[in-house]
Amino acid sequence: MLSALLYLRATSFRNWVVARVRRLRQPKYLLGAIVGGAYFYFFFFRSLATPPGPRAGTALPDAAREAMEAAVTLPADWLPATTAFGSLALLIFTTFMWVVPTQRAALGFSEAEIAFLFPAPVKRRSLVHFRLISAQLRSLVGAGVMMLFSQRWSALGGNALTHAFGWWFIFSALNLHFSGASFTLTRLTDLGLQAWRRRILVLGMIASVFIAALLRLPAELPSPPLGTGIDLPAASEWLVALTTTAPLSWLLAPFRIVVAPFLAVDTRAFFIALGPTLAVLTLHYLWVVKSAVAFEDAAVDYAQKRGARLAAWRTGGRRPDDAFTKARAAPFPLADAGRPELAFLWKNLLSTWPYFTVRVWGLAALVIAGAGIWLRRQPEGPLLASTVGGVALIFSAYVVIVGPQFARQDIRSDLTHADLLKTYPLPGWQIVLGELLAPTVILTGVLWLTLLTAVVTLQPVGLGLSWLTPSLRLAAGLGLACVAPVMVALQLLVPNAAALFFPGWFQMSRTRGGGPEVIGQRMIFFFAQVLTMLCALLPAFLVGGAVILMLHWIIGLTAAVVCASLAVWVVLAGEVWAGVHWLGTRFESLDLSADLRP
Amino acid sequence: MIEVSDLSKRYGSFTAVKQLSFAVRAGEVLGLVGPNGAGKTSTQRCLAGIIPVSSGSVRIAGHALAEDPIAAKRALAFFPDEPRLFDYLTVRQHLNFVARIYGVRDHEAIARPLLEEFEIADKADQLPGELSRGMKQKLAIACGLLHGPQVMFFDEPLTGLDPLGIRRMKDSIVQRARAGATIVLSSHLLHLLEEVCTHVLILKQGVKIADGTLAEVAARFSQGETDVSLEEVFIRATGGTES
Repeated sequence: MLSALLYLRATSFRNWVVARVRRLRQPKYLLGAIVGGAYFYFFFFRSLATPPGPRAGTALPDAAREAMEAAVTLPADWLPATTAFGSLALLIFTTFMWVVPTQRAALGFSEAEIAFLFPAPVKRRSLVHFRLISAQLRSLVGAGVMMLFSQRWSALGGNALTHAFGWWFIFSALNLHFSGASFTLTRLTDLGLQAWRRRILVLGMIASVFIAALLRLPAELPSPPLGTGIDLPAASEWLVALTTTAPLSWLLAPFRIVVAPFLAVDTRAFFIALGPTLAVLTLHYLWVVKSAVAFEDAAVDYAQKRGARLAAWRTGGRRPDDAFTKARAAPFPLADAGRPELAFLWKNLLSTWPYFTVRVWGLAALVIAGAGIWLRRQPEGPLLASTVGGVALIFSAYVVIVGPQFARQDIRSDLTHADLLKTYPLPGWQIVLGELLAPTVILTGVLWLTLLTAVVTLQPVGLGLSWLTPSLRLAAGLGLACVAPVMVALQLLVPNAAALFFPGWFQMSRTRGGGPEVIGQRMIFFFAQVLTMLCALLPAFLVGGAVILMLHWIIGLTAAVVCASLAVWVVLAGEVWAGVHWLGTRFESLDLSADLRP
Repeated sequence: MIEVSDLSKRYGSFTAVKQLSFAVRAGEVLGLVGPNGAGKTSTQRCLAGIIPVSSGSVRIAGHALAEDPIAAKRALAFFPDEPRLFDYLTVRQHLNFVARIYGVRDHEAIARPLLEEFEIADKADQLPGELSRGMKQKLAIACGLLHGPQVMFFDEPLTGLDPLGIRRMKDSIVQRARAGATIVLSSHLLHLLEEVCTHVLILKQGVKIADGTLAEVAARFSQGETDVSLEEVFIRATGGTES
């Protein structure tokens, strides 16, 4: 029976690979694959072929090379510290497995697997085996990916293979422990152990172990330095002493064994660590198989939720199980008559968090202004406030550049409703404008708050910034606030244009676990967005700069900044107007059924 | 009300609809039938202005769809086989939104009887996620009827409805046609078409095989027999195959 299940898994995997290779015939996948492949090669695979240290061809004196190798390799006496960190991390993970779950044990089967396997004459134990083997295959893929990252941590020692197998053992142990814990918890629940009592018991037990180990620490061992600065060697020494003191050392023993292959400094150490690790995994396997309880009901429920979530995600929707389960008050009353664009704003605001209201924004502004003024009046306030202001400015730039990727309450979310929108008696530009309003409002609100933070906190502290007078800061802040909505709208036009002009590409970028081609495709989109934005912003900034240059001798810098802001606004607004009409025309001619045809 | 002339729809090198011409007058119900892949949905979507035609022209309530799409769309409503609803708008909010888009004044006075007719008045504050498939369908129809369209397109209107819902939907279509609406519906359920439609148009591979009143089309394929069912007509007209 297991062979049939393995056949299913192997055949599915083979077909998946064949389908992925076949679709490379389409340019959108081929181009994405080339870019993604190049990314993987230059950032990961190339480093696999070269030993840690300077790149091949870089001529370095022997002394310098030795010094570099010494610098990138952790000293041998750091191994206990890394082991302590690793085992504590695993303890935290497994503690969650015992504390968090509230549902009955559910092995993760897909809806198709349930439909075919559950009614089939297959023993429950075979299903468990099938699931465990599937999980091992997934762990192997995950280990391969993690190896690509960890291989760059050359200071850990080991090599690509020991890292890959090390990750695999860690993931396998966690996976098996999760299944075993789920089954055991279900049994305990059936015996009458309530969730809160179980949590107290588990956390209390772990806390007792820590306290006992702390009490048994040698008195002469200095306490970890806390507060002013961190003495890393002293802190590591203390942590190692704690984790090797009973009873904590007993509790951490299996975790230490599991992380040992990954932390092995060379192949010999890896093989020495291998035996105990395999023993721990075997014990885990026996535990899971012996403790397996009836999981079918919970598995069906889990598969249905997962299927619905996946379907909603693929069609651009939200997760159906935790979103839109409760009706929400409208953000503002929508009258029967008036600009139809506002109806889209109203609709799309309803689709997002309920916090985007004038009241919340107003309160946030008051809090920021109050906190900023208070901070500046503190003894060490000016420096701290300026730091906060600097961070706020950086965050503002982040909002402008990356915000449109997060605020997607526009055409991108409504592409699945394109048929419906196209039956509305509205010209395309009105639909596009209406769709753009919600994310523009949201991102503008965030930008205004960050700009307010910068204005109330930033003040020149040395650095020859005395020319940045309060009036100039205020004028610059107001100018940026004025420009913010059009700049955000312009930014939003780019991904919306991508969705309308390349719906096939856009849909593909929503593919889950897409592999190199989808990563490459996302990279293409990102670079295209940055490039387009630079081209769109250039005229506005040239005009703004020219206005400041020409006017600041005549009307002063502050007034010149205000005039420049207006000039920038006019240019950007013109670009937005042209962009909206252009996209509107595209929306009117959009034929999704043709564009998405394979 | 609906005038279609030489309508063609191509997807790349594939032609889904070929030079289709027909007209439907006020009060008529045209049944669009054909095997899978015959071009029924493409035709309906072209007529509703959802997808552009590749060539030919369409006039809805006197307005050319290509030249004056806004006026044409004000007069029509399209009901897809799968109700397309916004996950985060309640039943009432859906109607409010549609009212604003179509500029329907005092929409609540119109919406109330519609919700009652479709028996979803008590669900007014619920989200689509809380509604059954049939109720979602009813909400989609209520939204489509809110602005009083003169022309209606139904794509497989009975999908997902229970027997009572099917009965009511049929009555609703007939009632609206009697009130002067022009209706085009596509369905594989030939008994529905026999009950509801005044006219029928048979498509195969994007080409019109026959059109006319039910009696006219039946006569053409009856081969002298009397009382031939639409199902038999359909099989004879299409040769019993999809290709």
